[in-house]
Amino acid sequence: MVESSARGYVPIADYAAIGDARTVALVARDGSVDWLCLPDLDSPSVFAAVLDAERGGRFELRPDVPAQAQRRYLPDTNVLETTFTTAGGIVRITDAMALPSRELGPTRELIRQVDGIAGEVPMRWSVTPAFGYGAVPPRIGRRGRVPVAIGPRDALAVCSWDAGEAQIDGDAIFGRFDAVEGGSALIALCAAHQEPLVFPRREHVQARLKATIAYWRGWAAQRAYDGPWRDAVIRSALALKLLFHAPSGAIAAAATASLPEEIGGERNWDYRFCWVRDSAFTLEALLHLGCPGEAEAFFWWLLHASQLSHPRLRVLYRLDGGERAPERSLELHGYRGSRPVRVGNDAAAQTQLDIYGDLLQTALIYTDAGGRLDPETGRRLAGIAELVCRIWHEPDSGIWEVRSRPQHFTHSKMMCWIALDRAVRLSEAGHIPSGRASAWRREALAIHDFVETRCWSDRLDSYTRHAGADELDASLLLGVLLGYESSAPGRLPATVNALRRELGRGPLLTRYSGDDGLQGTEGAFLCCSFWLADALARVGQLDAAGELMTELTVLAGDVGLYAEEVDPRTNELLGNMPQGLVHLALINAAVSIGKARGG
Amino acid sequence: MSVWAALAGGFVGTLVLTTALRAANELGLTRVDLPFLLGTVVTRDRARAKALGYLMHLAAGEVFALVYYAIFAAIDTSGWLLGALFGLLHGIVAVTALVNVLLPVVHPRMGSELSAADSSPLLEPPGFLMLNYGRGTPIATLLAHIAYGTIVGGFAA
Repeated sequence: MVESSARGYVPIADYAAIGDARTVALVARDGSVDWLCLPDLDSPSVFAAVLDAERGGRFELRPDVPAQAQRRYLPDTNVLETTFTTAGGIVRITDAMALPSRELGPTRELIRQVDGIAGEVPMRWSVTPAFGYGAVPPRIGRRGRVPVAIGPRDALAVCSWDAGEAQIDGDAIFGRFDAVEGGSALIALCAAHQEPLVFPRREHVQARLKATIAYWRGWAAQRAYDGPWRDAVIRSALALKLLFHAPSGAIAAAATASLPEEIGGERNWDYRFCWVRDSAFTLEALLHLGCPGEAEAFFWWLLHASQLSHPRLRVLYRLDGGERAPERSLELHGYRGSRPVRVGNDAAAQTQLDIYGDLLQTALIYTDAGGRLDPETGRRLAGIAELVCRIWHEPDSGIWEVRSRPQHFTHSKMMCWIALDRAVRLSEAGHIPSGRASAWRREALAIHDFVETRCWSDRLDSYTRHAGADELDASLLLGVLLGYESSAPGRLPATVNALRRELGRGPLLTRYSGDDGLQGTEGAFLCCSFWLADALARVGQLDAAGELMTELTVLAGDVGLYAEEVDPRTNELLGNMPQGLVHLALINAAVSIGKARGG
Repeated sequence: MSVWAALAGGFVGTLVLTTALRAANELGLTRVDLPFLLGTVVTRDRARAKALGYLMHLAAGEVFALVYYAIFAAIDTSGWLLGALFGLLHGIVAVTALVNVLLPVVHPRMGSELSAADSSPLLEPPGFLMLNYGRGTPIATLLAHIAYGTIVGGFAA
């Protein structure tokens, strides 16, 4: 039931994402846009009510009376349709971030169309922008009849048609109207960044909405996937496309910052960056989905971004390829009091050895799919293999970016082995220079020996979280997924079983046992659960994999999106959303199970 | 004093002016974008508008350099200081009349303060002293034009 009074925070699962491959808006079930950064996904927010219900800013649009909300994405699109049923009638809101057209349009445009379906429904809308993560109050005024909100670099115009008279009250622009059966109202939030505002005509806004729906349908229709859980896979593909940064080809890990891993806790991170550790999964998923253009763009963006720090890799890069992502805390209340609210991410400067394996695995996937590497790129990849030979024996912060002291994480060592193994394979195929291939083989053997002797526990019947530890880590599943070759064939299947036994909470999997240098707890990481389904399929436990996938697919929000985690006690979604790695893991697990079934 | 030197000054000066205003954009001082404003006179296509706008702005810079040169020749005096003074006057005219009053009149896609959203696709009008584009717009525009004038005057001398 949608209350007509002002509200605080809604469950994270109540958010649907709309976007244009430049930025993403989160629309709550009650019709409030509570998150929007302009002009790009990683820019400061103009709406951040999800992080501060009082000061964050939002764009509300809803019935002015109690209503039941039902919603869905228009089939095969990133356009959201919310239907409100009230005592007096039914009204439908269609929300989209418009794609640009040949007509002169705003820099970014959030379109909200309100259609009266039955009876008469009193509606209210209110735009309360707060630039710069709520730190910069807007100057509200008018240009002619059109209300505008002006910030230092950005400006918003609220253009409305048949949506009541737009009024101004302090920091809010608002209106009321009655949605009557057969009638249609339109509100366009038109953003300008470092340029004058553009005030569009109604017919152009409507045409862009229609073209945006057609674009998404066309894009989804081109996806090649025809295996199990097709709806969930296509929804995941559409969610990933939202996280694309169109100018560069980078893919953000998630659309939000600082949605908490624990309600009221401190594990609140900014995920609006591209992580190297996701690269192999990303390329694999894009190729499975039949997205060669996006795959090509992503691969070359990754190589360009990592060029400046060669041969070292940064853990993450900004969407424009930049390296700096300084972390700072904002003066915001935080989602249900979860502080600090961080933007930027200090993990960028951590040492994580696994990312070298991810990059070389990505290069192998790219070349196996027919991609070609130029000689300069080949030399760079060979240089990275040389670096791995020098640094693999150092401790690191591991894939989970723990803030406790560095360790010899088993997954990191496995990925170093994968890095050198893939370098050898690339050199054998003539993609990278082969002069040092014998040295890479030698070091790969040394890494393998380290993992097999120091990172295995007979007691646990599993590889361990790090050398000499008695703890487990779900990242060990990646050894199965990415093709680590153990000395005995039973070790990887035994590890899969041990992880399920020790870290499993129903269908869910916690990340690890042991310390990570942070206070509090966290939910179960959904990507680990999908990795488990994938690993089960690969080690021959196909029925268990299928059952697990079915259980996991019902944990998505009502429109099919996942946040980073689930609280195993309540099944509440936690963390940033929509989370790219979870959707990538879902796609790859569905493909693995389909293949194992002979599809 | 040569007309070619003035034209060279116009070219360099316009590059500096455009760059200075772009820097002011990045610093959050203003949202003014002269190439975008000029380009949208001739096309609705956003990308073409930006590209054509740069060319038009460069051409306008050369025309103004010729006007500067004509005045230098008429009074038989030139130099960077006089150029800077011309630039100041030029900037004042731009802020108060050229972009503020004249552009909305001739621009087919720009509204005036009286226009409504449903009359046509409209660009935000500059407003008094171009303040609609940000409070730093007048000073950024003036300083950029002073730099332009200084360069044209220096080249022409």
